[in-house]
Amino acid sequence: MDTSRDDFGIAVRSAFLRKGTKQRFSLFVLSIISILLLFFDSMESKPISFVRSFVKDTIYRGSLIVSSPINGFSYVSKGIVNHFQLYSKHSELEKDYKILKNSISKSEFLELENIQLRKLIDEQTSSSNNYTSSRVMLDKQSPYLNSFIINSGSNKEIKNGMAALDGANFIGRIIDVNFFSSRVLLVTDLNSKIAVITEPSGNHAILSGHNNKPITLDYLPENHLISNGDKVYTSGKEGIFSPGIPIGEVKIVKKKINVSLFSELTQITFVNIDLGAPREKK
Amino acid sequence: MAILIKNFKSNFVSLVPLILLFFITLNGMSTVDLNFFTVNIHFILVYYFALRKPELLGNGFIFLSGIITDVIHGLPIGTTALTLLVVAGVASYVRVVTVRISLFTDWISFIPTLLLASLTYYFVLNFSDYSIDYIYLLKNSIFTLIFYPILWILISALLNLLGESN
Repeated sequence: MDTSRDDFGIAVRSAFLRKGTKQRFSLFVLSIISILLLFFDSMESKPISFVRSFVKDTIYRGSLIVSSPINGFSYVSKGIVNHFQLYSKHSELEKDYKILKNSISKSEFLELENIQLRKLIDEQTSSSNNYTSSRVMLDKQSPYLNSFIINSGSNKEIKNGMAALDGANFIGRIIDVNFFSSRVLLVTDLNSKIAVITEPSGNHAILSGHNNKPITLDYLPENHLISNGDKVYTSGKEGIFSPGIPIGEVKIVKKKINVSLFSELTQITFVNIDLGAPREKK
Repeated sequence: MAILIKNFKSNFVSLVPLILLFFITLNGMSTVDLNFFTVNIHFILVYYFALRKPELLGNGFIFLSGIITDVIHGLPIGTTALTLLVVAGVASYVRVVTVRISLFTDWISFIPTLLLASLTYYFVLNFSDYSIDYIYLLKNSIFTLIFYPILWILISALLNLLGESN
């Protein structure tokens, strides 16, 4: 019994403590360094954040360069597929053009009517949007985090918690800011919980992501009046996001309240980051 | 000339695992997801080389590739590095205690390796307040185990083709 325990100890020591042939580090030392890194990663201090940002920015750029051949290949293959679909797309666009041409006169009339009505109610409209645009730099599908990297960071005054939008639609929030890059956590992620309000039912709820499964509305009151097609907006109740940012619409499937996003998350190239209220000019 | 070609070939062969490892790491392809099918190629590569050809893949490189994976996938820095080191550690242990290595013994010993690796993931992410999709983790481990012999044969064939004999 003692002998087998000794054998086990010798084998473990040999595997973890001894440096093998052509090995510079033992597994034990590297494991200790990993644990220390995990510890430092959870700490918030200026020098650590500086080093972390530098390392992350460098790795993102490196990854961008290394993945460029694969990205280039997929770009070329998509181009070829698009080329073969050109004729059918052209016919569809021609039809759409005719329909749009007819509706232009209608919309012009509605616009005029809108201006007159606004004047009538003496409405003062001013936009409080203060967006900065960024390009999606890396979109690596992680099994543990539905997120992507954008090419702006603290250099564009981006901070943790800011809302990320596709056009005007909410798609996620900033969770990690470096000098020249940031990470956007998408609403579909398991860790994403957003305070929302539905319209016209007017119920407050929490929008929860479930990775590959549909997004759901949780913590709804028992007697809610939500029905298919209700729009979902940020409520701003958590005090982080501006209220009224459109997110998606309700789709009830087997009594489960799912939300279908207005934006297709796999097709995003540019995002707007809501920097909050604009600074007053001195 | 013949010596030069031989040296070049031998150097290239010794770099193949490193190229493979960093290619999948920097491309964010450590886990291949195809609908229901999900395989952790990173684990398989590290396990294979730590068990069969430890001289071709240094522990430092395994650690570095783990750090890069963490940064690219947005995990706490050190999570994947620690997990990969656990995989490499179990592989080294198996190498020490096993006399004759075959695909079957490799495959069987890969089961506790995956369990320990998933346990490490669970502990680290749990302490870092990350939500974990347990079903995904289980699915990933099962498919990685199933896929292991296929990649084992492929890598062995590649190394044989390049002239790296057992």
